[in-house]
Amino acid sequence: MDMNSISGWLQASVRLAASLMLVSVGAVYTERVGVINIGMEGMMLAGALASVAASFFTGNIVIAAICAMAVGGLLAILHAYITVSRRASQLISGFAINILALGATNVGYARLFPTERARVATYPVLSPPELRAVPFFGEVIFAQPVIVWIALILPLVSAWVLYRTSWGLNIRAVGEHPHAVASVGLSVYRLKYTGVILSGVFAGLGGSALAMADLGYFAPAMTGGRAFVVLAALIVGKWNPIAVAAACMLFGAADALQLRIQTFGAVIPYQFPLMVPYLLTIAALAGLVGRTAAPKTIGKPYDPEII
Amino acid sequence: MKERKAITFNSLGEFLIPLSRPLLAIVLALTVSAVLIWAAGANPIEAYAAMLQGSFGSVAALANTGVRAAPLILGGFAVGLGFKAGLWNIGGEGQIYLGAAAAAAVGIIPLPVPAWLHLLLTVMAGFVGGVLWMLAPAYLNAYRGVNLVCTTLMLNYVAGFFVSWLLHPPSPLAETDTHFPMSPLILPSARLPILIEGTSLHAGLILAVVLGVVLHVVLRYTHFGFRTRMVGENPEAARYAGIGVTRQIFLVLLICGGLGGLAGAGEVLGLKLRLFDFFAGGVGYEGLALAMLANGNPLGIIVGSVFFGSLKAGATKMQIVTGIEASLALVIEALTVIFVVAIGFGERVRLTRQKQKKSRA
Repeated sequence: MDMNSISGWLQASVRLAASLMLVSVGAVYTERVGVINIGMEGMMLAGALASVAASFFTGNIVIAAICAMAVGGLLAILHAYITVSRRASQLISGFAINILALGATNVGYARLFPTERARVATYPVLSPPELRAVPFFGEVIFAQPVIVWIALILPLVSAWVLYRTSWGLNIRAVGEHPHAVASVGLSVYRLKYTGVILSGVFAGLGGSALAMADLGYFAPAMTGGRAFVVLAALIVGKWNPIAVAAACMLFGAADALQLRIQTFGAVIPYQFPLMVPYLLTIAALAGLVGRTAAPKTIGKPYDPEII
Repeated sequence: MKERKAITFNSLGEFLIPLSRPLLAIVLALTVSAVLIWAAGANPIEAYAAMLQGSFGSVAALANTGVRAAPLILGGFAVGLGFKAGLWNIGGEGQIYLGAAAAAAVGIIPLPVPAWLHLLLTVMAGFVGGVLWMLAPAYLNAYRGVNLVCTTLMLNYVAGFFVSWLLHPPSPLAETDTHFPMSPLILPSARLPILIEGTSLHAGLILAVVLGVVLHVVLRYTHFGFRTRMVGENPEAARYAGIGVTRQIFLVLLICGGLGGLAGAGEVLGLKLRLFDFFAGGVGYEGLALAMLANGNPLGIIVGSVFFGSLKAGATKMQIVTGIEASLALVIEALTVIFVVAIGFGERVRLTRQKQKKSRA
């Protein structure tokens, strides 16, 4: 492989990783407060449709992003209500939200755009042409749309909040010892709701990035399991925002690789790089690649009366 | 005397409430969906009438409902049996793919055996395919304590890509000279017979219902079923009673995988007659919803599957009549599940309060 095809591959890797990284920002918070959110797949899908529709009807990309985040956040409130307030199964709620979003986006998309695929503007590239002409970095970083930059910066912000602020400490504590958090007078419910809602908001934004970073359209079921890749990244990255983002980058690179194999052909079948994130996660879970330790109360409902 | 009366009343209530919960949830889901249909610009009554007609209105409609229900029933068992042992098999989707692939592999080879034996071998291959796919997560969970939900979930996507790979040349399972990735046609000797001439209702439905009865009997009246339920209800007590909990978990999970495999085999051998990539389209996850709605009860899963199947069959008709996407069936399914879990908490509180009252008395 020559230099050009390597930087081309890296550019695609970063772009494909961007939507995963955006989803991962919120995913870390929901699992840190002890709530698994499998429904992020559906929230991503709903966010993708919401942003394309908003962009189509308003022409404003900021409104599109806000709509995506709002729709994801609303679905997350539903998830939080079922799992935190009602203490029902997080898995059932998550899968139900996925099925709901799949059905609702299909119905909504066919209703909004009955005749042809709606094309909308993509997120703009903000850097001046001189920067884009810089060899290698110009292509891999500066030629990327603004949403990719946001995706690259957010994990750093998220890590700072989680490890350097007292609110981040509360978030980390509530998934480990909710009763201890309650005993110092903090609201466990509020922290849990916040964590879950953040995951929906960023899943929605991730969906928006998926549809509008470079495609500029929505397609039914277009997320294709990407939120599950993020769940895999959480395990591989041990719930640390930066490590999780790095895992997302790795999985994005695998995705970019398989696209290249599909286009240019190679010795290995294109399906194999796609399996990598999932197999790597199973290896991590089985203890073959380091040890992983999930937040202690993950998946369990919080009942203030039962310690 | 008084006390006995109170107890009968309570147990009647405990019998009725689990039944009324899904019914109430269905009514609520249909009400919310009616608002959505209205918002999408159609008449809800007209839409529901079309759905009813498309699912139960004629022999062809009933056959459609049956065809849609068959994979859901088996997919529901794959999860529901696990529930009885307190296990969460989220891997139905992957087991469906591998069962379908194994069945297709045997179903396209002309074997020098009678047709019934070829079919039997093909169906068994489907079961074995599912079992093999479950082998690693079952071992890791039973013997190593690795989280079953994560491993089975991850393997679903591996399975999808694996089958996709199997359907691309130079794989021997790939049909040559086609535009879409698919396997060659299943040989007539390995196909599940059609039950009603002129429809696509195939014997997979019978297989599913018979297995449901078998599963019900096994869970209720055999040692194996008793051990399974005991592991599910109280693994510590089960261990204390001398039950090999680890081995039981391993075995139950393998059977779960096999049932998932059968769901995939039925689709390929009865309906699609070829293996396509990514054909399952979420049936494994709907099986999870059904198992939850029925609390793992095989007969309940059959009833739930017929309901989900009728929604899917009816939605196709509704799309023709009203122009609203047939995916609305998924919305109604999801809302039913959401309402059931949302109502469920209230019931649990009621039951614990009752227990507390009893223990106080």
